[in-house]
Amino acid sequence: MRKKRHLYTLAALIILVIISSAINQDFFSVSNFVTILRQSGILLILSLGLTGVVLTGNIDLSVGSVAALTGCVCGKLLVAQMSIGTSIMLSMGVGVFAGLCNGILVGVLNLPSFVATYGMNMVVSGLAVIVMNGGVIYGLPEGFTNLGIGSIKGVPVLIIIAGVLFLVLRFLYQYTIFGRRIYMIGYNKQAARYSGIPCLKTLLGAYIVCGLTGSLGGILLTARLNAADAGMSETYGLQIVAAVVLGGTSLLGGEGSVTGTVMGTFLLTMIVNIMNINGIDSNWQNFALGIIILILVWFDGLSFRNSLYLSRIRLPPL
Amino acid sequence: MERKPILEMKKVSKQFPGVKALDQVDFCLYPGEIHILAGENGAGKSTLSKCMLGICQHEEGVILYKGEKVSFHSAGEAAGKGIVAVHQELSMIPYLNVSQNIFFGREPTIGHSGLIDQRKMTEDTKLILQELNCSDIDLQVPVKKLGIAEQQMIEIAKALSFQPQILILDEPTSSLTSHEIQSLFQKLRQLKARGVAILYISHRMEEYEQIGDRITVMRDGKRIKTVKTGDLSEKDLIRLIVGRDIHEFYQRTMVPDKKDYLRVIKISDKKHKVNACSMNVKRGEIVGIAGLMGAGRTELARLIFGIDKPSSGEVYFDDKKVTGRSPEYMVKNGVGFLTEDRKRTGLAINASIAWNIVAAGLQSLFPTKIISEKKNTLIAGKYADQLNIATPDVKRSVGELSGGNQQKVVIAKWLAANTKLLIFDEPTRGIDVGAKTEIYKWMDQFVSEGGAILMISSDLQELMGMCDRMYVMRQGTIAGSMTKESYSAAAIGQMMMGEKEI
Repeated sequence: MRKKRHLYTLAALIILVIISSAINQDFFSVSNFVTILRQSGILLILSLGLTGVVLTGNIDLSVGSVAALTGCVCGKLLVAQMSIGTSIMLSMGVGVFAGLCNGILVGVLNLPSFVATYGMNMVVSGLAVIVMNGGVIYGLPEGFTNLGIGSIKGVPVLIIIAGVLFLVLRFLYQYTIFGRRIYMIGYNKQAARYSGIPCLKTLLGAYIVCGLTGSLGGILLTARLNAADAGMSETYGLQIVAAVVLGGTSLLGGEGSVTGTVMGTFLLTMIVNIMNINGIDSNWQNFALGIIILILVWFDGLSFRNSLYLSRIRLPPL
Repeated sequence: MERKPILEMKKVSKQFPGVKALDQVDFCLYPGEIHILAGENGAGKSTLSKCMLGICQHEEGVILYKGEKVSFHSAGEAAGKGIVAVHQELSMIPYLNVSQNIFFGREPTIGHSGLIDQRKMTEDTKLILQELNCSDIDLQVPVKKLGIAEQQMIEIAKALSFQPQILILDEPTSSLTSHEIQSLFQKLRQLKARGVAILYISHRMEEYEQIGDRITVMRDGKRIKTVKTGDLSEKDLIRLIVGRDIHEFYQRTMVPDKKDYLRVIKISDKKHKVNACSMNVKRGEIVGIAGLMGAGRTELARLIFGIDKPSSGEVYFDDKKVTGRSPEYMVKNGVGFLTEDRKRTGLAINASIAWNIVAAGLQSLFPTKIISEKKNTLIAGKYADQLNIATPDVKRSVGELSGGNQQKVVIAKWLAANTKLLIFDEPTRGIDVGAKTEIYKWMDQFVSEGGAILMISSDLQELMGMCDRMYVMRQGTIAGSMTKESYSAAAIGQMMMGEKEI
């Protein structure tokens, strides 16, 4: 029985919407939902790729800094008069390279992913600081910034990109051999290996996808801010991990989905949005967000522990 | 002679969701007897013992221990009263060493200082292990470095250190070799002479007469019959256990090919656990590897399958030399490895049956590299039917199945991967008679259709029954080989141990 853990997240989302609508009239409106969507776009893109890595039972803590470095590189290339397309393509190389490094550290050198990717996080964010040398890039071409702030027929471009990425990754994880291998490695790495599943290749793939989405997020963030600096993705940091975990993907691997991550992202963004609408002092927002995350994880833990408990009772065969 | 039972169960029932695990069971255990509990997986044997131990609470009936009504709430409470169990699943803490495991949670201290008396702990451990005839186990290494058999013996040693009055053993010999089994039996007889009551749960029928005084047969949560050992023929016993007749345990149709399918030449590993081993397997053959625990049988299989890298030696498939082996490569080329440890290396226990069945054959089953859940379910359903896997729905988690059915799922996995040569390590460990015969039948069918099986087993009976030829391993080398006509348990035993020890 595969546990549909993201349904808990969905339930939390619905409850949140109901309560917020009751408290504040402004919340339940089309324009506010578009705002939430727009605000969640970048976080969503960043956490979609991470979902694959977490499904293998590993983690990637370097997504935020990969986004920052990519944004900085892309910005540098753009101000050096390189074309938008080429700048984007070249700067995506940051993600591929970081993903490859992470994958090798974890898959070949067998380092614990938590430590390995934390180290990579420092290396990559350090590189971003070196590249920028304390400066800020701004005044990017309009064609580029439109990716972050423009819209097509009222729908933000950012949301279109996030939506397409979601569909692509959902297909990749749920309907391809590559995706199935990711899940099998997460369920039981040894059994996967003994079944002839190419564990290293799959792990590298998962990390590279994660790096790529990190880069894409960084590029779009740069476009949205119309600026790039080394610390621009700091606010995202662990939020990316939180979005994946709140979406019901187990840090032990095997259980979860990108659909859950979408919900986890909406949940996080919506909480911030509600605090903004209700005029909660921004000084208090991080504190409140932290408390809410803890409560949600605790609830999720309750239900999850419950299901663990149930699965421990071995049913005799029918 | 009128004896008083040390433990008595009267009309005990226990309900699990959807199943009556125990149904009005009456049961008596006397001091100084070895009482065998027989039955298929799911018959209620384990539940019965768990109710005695307080791991499960019975809903109806009473349990009397030394004449008093008891209802323990935890295994710890029961252990304090002298009822101790060794479970099928090992419960060692892998990173602690032997004595730390045996005295876990009740370490001897130096006076009242709260400091652990390491020396006393080691001494006591040595003593217990000596009594079990396995003092050659290294006490200082973490238990995860020991083999399953050694871990099993430590588990038993731990139980004995409680000085139990009732000792419950659930499949204690499933991973032991005959040598180790004999020293265990010897110990059990000593305990019995001291008046300890032993409840012995096992699928191995040849052990019943050797060690048991009485046998209770269970089926579908009911106690079917209690008899003295020897009062029933093996055939009658099987009929009681399974509830129907089973014909011819081991069936073999001989159709070996002329050409070698697998040929291994002088293969060795770096750790010297395997030393210059050569062997061959033809299509249509079941070839066995016998040997004591630690003789290097599994290590050899791992070398062939490419899990470990050999330091020297060659492997040929269909007369073609294969180099740079990896499990990935081997699976692609039609080799499967059914390991001895289902839960660790065979199955993704939390994933569905369907997912497990297609795990090894993803590439050939889904050539477009795109998986539809529907096709997956369909494929899995086909193999589940073919192998008679008892489940209403292949989308269920494989962990819900009994041991025998889990083993069938692993077999289905290799079938679905289009395997031609199957390395089968302990095919029937911890599996009941019914499922066993089905697995044997399947093995025979598999090779008669052109497959080949290399089978490792600690069950000599099974090896002699199923294998056309057999290699015997000792201390990492092939000590000898024989064909079906020349099998004798004595000769094989001699080869396994080496001349000196006879």
